[in-house]
Amino acid sequence: MLFSEMTTKDALKRTKQKITGYQTEFLERMNAIEVDAHWFRRVFHTFAASFLIYYILPDEGWLFALKRCTIICILLGLIIVEYYRIRGDIKNIHFFGLRGYEKHRPAGYLFFGAGTVVLFLFFPQQIVIPCLLCAAFIDPLMGEIRFHFGKYNAILAGFVVSLFFFSITWYRAEWWVIAIVAAAGGTVVAFSEAKKLRYIDDDFLIQILPAVLLLIIWQVFAGIGIDILPETMILPL
Amino acid sequence: MKNQQQQAMYALLLRLELWFAPVLILVPIVVSFFFIQDWYVRGVIQGISQYDGELILGLVILVGNLLCDILFMKSLKDLKRKKLITEKKMK
Repeated sequence: MLFSEMTTKDALKRTKQKITGYQTEFLERMNAIEVDAHWFRRVFHTFAASFLIYYILPDEGWLFALKRCTIICILLGLIIVEYYRIRGDIKNIHFFGLRGYEKHRPAGYLFFGAGTVVLFLFFPQQIVIPCLLCAAFIDPLMGEIRFHFGKYNAILAGFVVSLFFFSITWYRAEWWVIAIVAAAGGTVVAFSEAKKLRYIDDDFLIQILPAVLLLIIWQVFAGIGIDILPETMILPL
Repeated sequence: MKNQQQQAMYALLLRLELWFAPVLILVPIVVSFFFIQDWYVRGVIQGISQYDGELILGLVILVGNLLCDILFMKSLKDLKRKKLITEKKMK
């Protein structure tokens, strides 16, 4: 049919059919992606545990400055990318595994990155290691258990595994210090993962809240003359 | 034409993900082996127990990542199988 022979009604009908076709095709593809995007997100989380390699480089001279500059630059890069994505200059389709509610707010990976950079810059290694391990492993674990066995079982599992992470990373401390640190850290980790806030992602809270609490506990004991911080776990090259 | 361009872009994105996935899987394994190797070379051989922490970390990173990686690979396999079944049905 030539364009001149088409009535407005025909043109509208054909356009509508085309749009419906594109929509169906797009949704089918998105559904297909969702299957592996779920585990892709989980793997992305566990991948973060490898950031601990940061502590292998020595904190001396230019290497100290280079380490810090690198993580700050990476974070700035992420902020710029997210700025353009939220503005709409970069389409959401370029971001694999993005959740629906993250389309108009900073994505989880930015919160995760920001939390990790804050930890590396402002907290001692002994506090950073358990917090980063919890962010890397507790979030996917609680997500899976919540999906299969419900919210309360997820909180319980998150608490138990956090206890384990805090205990093994502070194993050089006194037994009563391990008990306090593991109980406090485990409780806060389980709480920060269970409680969803509108503007701050749990990927940020799960790292920062236990770190701040441990910092306070450390400083309180330091105030009464007891240094509870054990030796560092990772010794630089 | 526009649809073809979209298809090409979509294929490129999927290819990028396929390239990115091995990095997500391999880097933590390399890091964990590095920690274990460092514990062995600087700790076990020289008899210094201060490096035991690196063994613990290496094992935690390795086991945690392997568990997730296996499930991730399984989901990719399932996805491929589902696609094959759908394609057969279409034919």
